[in-house]
Formats: sequence, C-alpha cells, structure tokens
Amino acid sequence: MEDLSIILQILFWGLYAGCIYILLATGLNLIFGVMKVVNFAHGEFLMVGAYITFTVFLFTGFNPYVILLLSMLALVGIGAIVERLCFRPILGTGKLNEIFLSIGLIYIFQNGAAMIWGDAWQSVKSPYDGISVPVGPLSVPLDYIIIMVVTALILCGLYLFLKKTTIGMQMQATSQNRKGAMLVGINVERIDIISFGLGCALAAAAGTLWVVSGQVFNPYMGAIPAVKAFAIIILGGLGSIPGAIIGGLLMGLAENGAAFLLGGIWKDAVSFIVLIVVLVIRPTGLFGGKEG
Amino acid sequence: MLSNIPLSLRYATALAVIAAVALPFLTDNMFIVNLAVLMLIAIIFASAWNLLACSGQGSLGHAAFFGIGAYASTLVAVSLGITPFITIFIGAGVAAVIGILIGLTCVRLKEWFLAMVTFGFAIIVQTLVVSVLAPMTGGWDGIPSPRLVSPAIPGYQLIEYYAILLITIATIIAIWYIMRSKAGLAFLAIRENETEARAAGIDPVRYRLLAFAISAFIAGIAGALQIHHIGYITPELFGVDNSFWPITYVILGGLGTIAGPIIGTVALTVIWEGLKETGMTFARYVIIGIILILTIIFLPKGLVSLPERLVEWMARKKRKMETHPLTGK
Repeated sequence: MEDLSIILQILFWGLYAGCIYILLATGLNLIFGVMKVVNFAHGEFLMVGAYITFTVFLFTGFNPYVILLLSMLALVGIGAIVERLCFRPILGTGKLNEIFLSIGLIYIFQNGAAMIWGDAWQSVKSPYDGISVPVGPLSVPLDYIIIMVVTALILCGLYLFLKKTTIGMQMQATSQNRKGAMLVGINVERIDIISFGLGCALAAAAGTLWVVSGQVFNPYMGAIPAVKAFAIIILGGLGSIPGAIIGGLLMGLAENGAAFLLGGIWKDAVSFIVLIVVLVIRPTGLFGGKEG
Repeated sequence: MLSNIPLSLRYATALAVIAAVALPFLTDNMFIVNLAVLMLIAIIFASAWNLLACSGQGSLGHAAFFGIGAYASTLVAVSLGITPFITIFIGAGVAAVIGILIGLTCVRLKEWFLAMVTFGFAIIVQTLVVSVLAPMTGGWDGIPSPRLVSPAIPGYQLIEYYAILLITIATIIAIWYIMRSKAGLAFLAIRENETEARAAGIDPVRYRLLAFAISAFIAGIAGALQIHHIGYITPELFGVDNSFWPITYVILGGLGTIAGPIIGTVALTVIWEGLKETGMTFARYVIIGIILILTIIFLPKGLVSLPERLVEWMARKKRKMETHPLTGK
C-alpha cells in the first residue's frame, strides 16, 4: 500500500509538471508550425507572464486564476511586438540566425525583468493554499487539480479556435503550405503575428500556473522549462500538437520519477539524457516525420 | 599562401600583434593586463566556437568543453604535480575526446536539434560534476587550481600575459591553416550544402566529427588557461552564460571569419567594461542583447564587414550627389 501511494504521488506530480510543459510546448509548436521559426527565448515569455500575474496580484489582490487571462492578453501584445521587430526581419535567413537572435532576446528579457522586479526569488500565495482534496489514497492540493482543469480548458479552447474560426483555419492552412496560403489570399504576415502572440499567451498561462502552484520564481527561471519544452516537441514531433501533449506528460513523469529515484539534482539532467538517447536512436524525434 | 593576403590586412595584423605585445609597457595598471588576459582567453574560446559554426554546427553548450578542459587540466596538475603548461593540453585532449562522443550524437541532427543536445549536454556535465564526481571536483564549492605561473616569481603577471598571448597567436594561426586546408574547405562545403558536398566526395560525418574534435580541443585550452589564471575552479564554468558569450562575440565580429572572433571580443569587452564604469548591472546585459539583435538584422556579416559596407554606402551617396535630381545627369 505504501509503495502504491508513492507511485501514485509521483504520477500525480508528473501530471502537474506535465501540464506546465504542455502549455509551453504547445505554444512553441504553434509558432513553429506556422512560421517554421524556433524561438529559444520562449521561456522568457513564461517568466514575464509569471511576473505580470505577480504584479497585478500584488496591487489588486484578485484571484490569480482570473489574472491569468490578463497576463495572457498582455503577452499577446508583447509577443506581437517581438515578432514584428525581431523575427520578421530575419525570416528565411537561416535557422542559426533564429537561434542567435533568441540569445539576444534572452539577454534582454531576463535582465530587463531583473531591472524592473529585482532578481530575488518571489512567490504568489494562492487563495486555495493549504486546502487538500482526497483523490483515491492520496491527499492532493486543490491548486494542482485546478491547474489541470485550467490546462485542459485552455487546450480545448485552442482546439476550437484552430478548427472552428476563420483565423484558426487560416493558421492551419499557413502551417500546411505557406505559398499556397498566400495564393488563396491569406495574409500570412498577419497570421504569423497572431500565432506568435498566441504562442506567447500560452507561455504566460504556463507561467501563471507555475507561480500559483506555490513555486518560487526569478527572472532567470524561464530558460530550463523552455529548453525542456523543446525537448518535448522534439520527442513529440515538430509541429504536432497531440505529440506535444503526450511528450509533455511523459517528460513530467520521467522527471519526477528520476527525482524520486536518483535525487532532485538529476531532475534537469534526466530530461536531456532522455532527449539525447531518443535522438541517437531516431534523429528526427519519436514521432517526427520528414518535416523539420 | 601568404602572398594572397591583401596588404591592408597584413598591416592590420601586424599592428594588432604590436599593440598586444606593447600593452604591458603602456600601462602599469595590472587591472588592464588582467583584463587583457581574460580577453585573449575569450578570443581563443570564441574562435573555437566559430570553427564549429563554420561546419554548420551552432553549439549552445560550448561551456561544457571549456569546463571539461579546465577540470581535466586541474585534476591532472593537482594529482600528478605537472606544470599547467603541459596539463592544459592534456585537458584539451580530454575535451576533444568527449567532443567526438557528443559529436557522434549530433552529426545527423538538424541545426536546432543540435543546439538542444549541446545545451543539454552542458547541463548534464554540470550535474555529473556536482553529484557523482563531487569527491574529486569538490562539488559546488570547487577546488583551488595551480597557477599557470607561480605568484612567487617576480613579474609573474607579465610572464603569464606573454605566455597566453603566444598561445592565442598560435591558436589563431592554427585555425587559419585549418580553414585553408582541405578540411576547412570541406567544413564550408558541408555548411553550404550537405548533399552537394557528399556528391563531391566529402564524407560529412567524418568532417563534422573532426570539426567537433578541433573545436572542443581549442575550447578546452581556453578553459584550462582561464582556470590556471584565476587559480580556482567551480562548476559555474558550465553555466549558460559561459556558453552564450562566445556566440555573442562571434556574431558581433563576423561569423565564419578569422578576424571576427577577435574584433568581436575586443569590441564587446570594451563596451562591457565601459558600461561597468557607469554603474550598470542588469542594463549591461540588456544593451548587449540589443546590440546582438541589431547586428543580426542590420549587419549580418558582423563588424568585419563594416568597412566594405561603409564604402558601398559612400559610393551610393556619391552617385546620388552626382546625378541631378531633375535632369538625371
């Protein structure tokens, strides 16, 4: 019985960590799918999203789960500006340039945030802090359950947006064939900006959920989750949103399993070991096809 | 081979070498000499990264090789009691072997997969150093490392400066020869078009591994030099910052050129130290980030291409001046 409850505990932690990774990886995938751009600075948007939630919470004291929407909206704007000023001028000049540009963005965002908010560790207290709910043999914090529900809602919303709205369908068309989309009269540059903003909004949601779950954060916290999100989309296949969801859950589980078995220090390294092993066996990723 | 270098470039090189040799005579300030030593090491490191980038492989984890060279050199020097002048190359050799191993996983990968693997590799190495290898490496606290030139010798700072200057010049000449050899041309061919390179009889896997090995070796030298200069080693060497600096230097100076890493490192160091004088902390990084992005967008070939860009711009302006706006004559 003891063992079972430990395994369940790890599963549950993995599921929760997976939710954050899924949001981050889905955002990256959306941007990659439409623009074929790799933004290594994606974690910085998670960090900014976390800080916006933190600031609004500090001033108004609203429920952080409500501020999530505001934070997402703010990041749509920031994302659109970054796309227009930084990524559009170098679109099509080579993959390495995108990576280098992301490094510049990482410098700017991390240290810009440190200038505004300082570089100390911060945290946000959730209104449901300390409330636990029994799930089977486990007693889990209510916040974790809310986080899973919110993640599911956001993903459903994204699904409906992509399948049912005109812009969503235009995004799908652009991601399938950019030239073809241009030919049928889709303004692909507008679609680029929208996708980038939307991807950033998903990162903001991930950041907000990260902080309300009681995790501490500082301006440099975004780098590692972002790289893990990359590992996830490589595992799940570039541009595939279902792949990102499966990959995110697997990564959350592998990481928490490793932290339990090997000690917390291995948490970050394990995700990269998994990534390298997978890439040695399959250089295009687990579910990756010809693309990329 | 030397005869096809333009005269202006030969003068510039001679001038740079003379300036570097004369520097300690121009200033008594040991802070500046110390800064110059760190700058020379950064030039070696940036050149190592640049060599790998020449073969189309952009690494985001070069701090791994930098750190491996430093740790291997320190541990050998401490346990066997050999002078750091020899262990530097042993450390670099270890870095090269590990470079080949990591290169083996990377050779078939696309740019951003490779970037990810190298980035992750630096984190894995750091984790190993502070966990499994901690009894040897001292974990997060680090261990003292023997100095390159013992501080007991009078004028040790100057001896150290000239030793490192010599190694830097030797490294740059070596890279220059490599880039003009068959291997260097193969690197460029693979970067431009792998399929065509293969058709021309170049084995991309072999040459990519070679690039990895050479680059890791040189990065290892840089790491070992830095640690023996400072006299203490900690796992912070493997930090993300340390992986990003050479990239920033090279992009600003000019990717894929011999002079690029040198010019970029000198320019950025001057900017960096100048900003420090104004008392900036975080803002310095923001400015570096903005410079990096502006360079990528407006000066994609780096500062190296600035003279020809200026000449081009002047010529265009002259042409405009000569033609009358109305008559067009």
